[in-house]
Amino acid sequence: MSVSNPFDSAPASSIQNVKWVEKNYLVIDDFVGVRQLLRESLRNLGAKNIDQAASGGEAIALLTRVRYDVVLCDYNLGEGKNGQQVLEEARLNGLLLPSSVWLMVSAEKSVESVMGAAEHQSDAYLIKPITEGVLLTRLNRVWHKKQVFKEIDQAYMEKDYLRAAKLCDAQIELNKVHEIELLRMKALLLLKSGEPDKARETYERVLQERDYQWAQTGLAKIRMANGEFEQARQIFQGVIAENRYYIDAYDQLALAYQNMGQPEEACNVLERAAKLSPNSVARQRSLGQVSLKLGNVGMAEKAFRKCIAIGEYSVMKTPDAYLGLARVCGMKNEPKEALQLLMTAQREFSGDQIGLRAKITEGMVYHESGDFRRARKAGDELEEMLNANAERPDTATCMEMATLMFAVGVKEAPAELLCYVIKNNHDNSMLLDDVKKIFDKARMGDEGDALIKASKKEASDLMNQGVLLWKTGKLGEAVEWMRHARAKLPDNLRILFNAAQILLSHLQQLGYEEALAAEANEVLLHVDRVAPGHQRFAQLMEQLARLNPAATAAAAAALVADSEIDPA
Amino acid sequence: MDDTPSSNDLFLFLASTAHDMKNSISVLSGTLETLLADASPRTEAAYPQMAHMLYQTKRLNDNLIQLLALYKQVGKPEYPFQMEPLEITHLVEQVVAAGRVLLKSKGITLEADFEPDLVWHFDEDLIVGVVGHAINNAINYTGDKIRLSIAKLDGGLEIRVEDNGRGYPAAMLEAGASAMNGISSGVNFLTNSTGLGLYFSSEVAKMHKHRSRSGSLRLENGGKYGGGCFVLNLP
Repeated sequence: MSVSNPFDSAPASSIQNVKWVEKNYLVIDDFVGVRQLLRESLRNLGAKNIDQAASGGEAIALLTRVRYDVVLCDYNLGEGKNGQQVLEEARLNGLLLPSSVWLMVSAEKSVESVMGAAEHQSDAYLIKPITEGVLLTRLNRVWHKKQVFKEIDQAYMEKDYLRAAKLCDAQIELNKVHEIELLRMKALLLLKSGEPDKARETYERVLQERDYQWAQTGLAKIRMANGEFEQARQIFQGVIAENRYYIDAYDQLALAYQNMGQPEEACNVLERAAKLSPNSVARQRSLGQVSLKLGNVGMAEKAFRKCIAIGEYSVMKTPDAYLGLARVCGMKNEPKEALQLLMTAQREFSGDQIGLRAKITEGMVYHESGDFRRARKAGDELEEMLNANAERPDTATCMEMATLMFAVGVKEAPAELLCYVIKNNHDNSMLLDDVKKIFDKARMGDEGDALIKASKKEASDLMNQGVLLWKTGKLGEAVEWMRHARAKLPDNLRILFNAAQILLSHLQQLGYEEALAAEANEVLLHVDRVAPGHQRFAQLMEQLARLNPAATAAAAAALVADSEIDPA
Repeated sequence: MDDTPSSNDLFLFLASTAHDMKNSISVLSGTLETLLADASPRTEAAYPQMAHMLYQTKRLNDNLIQLLALYKQVGKPEYPFQMEPLEITHLVEQVVAAGRVLLKSKGITLEADFEPDLVWHFDEDLIVGVVGHAINNAINYTGDKIRLSIAKLDGGLEIRVEDNGRGYPAAMLEAGASAMNGISSGVNFLTNSTGLGLYFSSEVAKMHKHRSRSGSLRLENGGKYGGGCFVLNLP
């Protein structure tokens, strides 16, 4: 085909096809000349409602008030938040519509922006200077892609991963152009559904066409999940040898080394990655934690300080860096600064049991600096806190707390805490071994064995009673019993999955009830938070969605509406 | 590359200021495009001079893009390469849109010849940059026509930018060959920006790899119009 003078076709007409004219636009750039230029370009393309922000802070204020359809955001915004941080904050705080288009703009391609394993990617990345033609091409392309992914994204948001994966297959048939991106999404969904074999097939299908590094990395992640750490390590290193800026491979390689019991190597890899792409809160935190484990106080301090500095303007910031840095201060025999940091952490962060975690760290700091009197006092205070509040933190924190309390001489509270851990993980043999080690170290081996045995029995008794009621058709009683079991053991996966299964049976056999469906959904979402990527989670989520008569009708209606507005 | 300390200092200086300069040049070329789009040789006496200003501004910008991509970090000519599948239509659309005002103001027609359904895998920003640069270059040397043709060839993708000018002089054809062979001693980047452009383009070509093959670049004379031809092959 020959196209002569294709530029004679007026750009304004194509933007009208997409009806961008009446949409709301936001231009974020710290350079006034660039803001004006971008506004002019948008106006020439027919846009009318264009707001401007000169900084990340200004942008967030506007994004909070107005739902924008298109955001053009510069990556480098001078002091304060950068463009990626503005995007993350907007996404996490729900300031964007699912249909919103976010175009990141930069003078150069930066490793962080394109190679990061960033969870929140912009829809497109544009390099300056931005001409009207490029802007229009990219806007249209993103819009078309959003149409292709619309239903998939919706199912993804509802965590119905299996349906989303099936929708990917359906779209591949319709849109060969997006095949590679759809396969990438499908593999991710299959992994989240606990279907690594099918995810592997999907990655292999991509690799038959091209050696995409994300597909190679995906294959290696699956091998790592299977415990094939050495094979995974080789693939990650191969990817890095081919593209030394593929930062995700470094983070994964470090994980592989940690799994292989080689923290020194993990630390080296993270250090290299942090040099290439220093502005990741998560990476600096990992580097700090590995260094701390290795006793490399200098490196840990540097990483935690950097982590706090980057986090200042980021919604991704976590208390971990403050707690880690406090430990560093303890090791350097500077308990005063450590306490200061713990106070800051409690002031800046709420929830996540921050008071408890700060107190654990305080105990460790005193214990490590040899102040046994104050360490014991922290242990007693932890015991009081546990008595005052029946809620327990996550497993890792419980284990940390028990270890510390035993070390400073508290006996009863840590034993109880470990029983709680066992009851919530009664069929996780690796974890049971770790718990046994803690008891052994506290010279409570025999007592510990008895406690482990009793706790395991209590958990399985709770579960078996529920299953018995369910199998004998007493669905109402079974649901009631599982509520009781969940209240006692809120993080036990077997109990949670069975509770959801029993709720689904109730819905299926005794008719659909909004309240029970919501309860099942809540139980399943809790499972996915405690232990993501379970096969049973994905299957139950899909079954639950299918049971809902309203959703089935809505999906059918959406399908009709879509076919009407399907782009040419 | 010349690795003497003084050349490193120079690139450090260029890389650090290029970032800032790009903002100004974006505004400058944007303003010129707007002025030219609203004007014609009849209404505006300085029309040809303005067109030439736009050409020069685009050249400046191309050079900055190349410097930033190649010398983002001092002495480390590497770049976060990102391969993605792209419809060739979208490549052509962007390159054509970028050259639209300049082509019109110089009275040059651009013919694009490609299969609209073709999808290929490459780093979009780099290839849009290289092809845009080749067209910009052709604008300066052509008579009144430029042809952009993109087609599959021997399992790879061939992108040709052809013009109906007098063709490349022998020295340039040689520079093209040496850029590809990695022999850069014959070209002084600091005085010959065409050399820099060729060096950049050949680096981009080589970055594209698939299985055992990698991309290549060559200059030749002939083609459909009998003028200069810039030929980029991607695996």
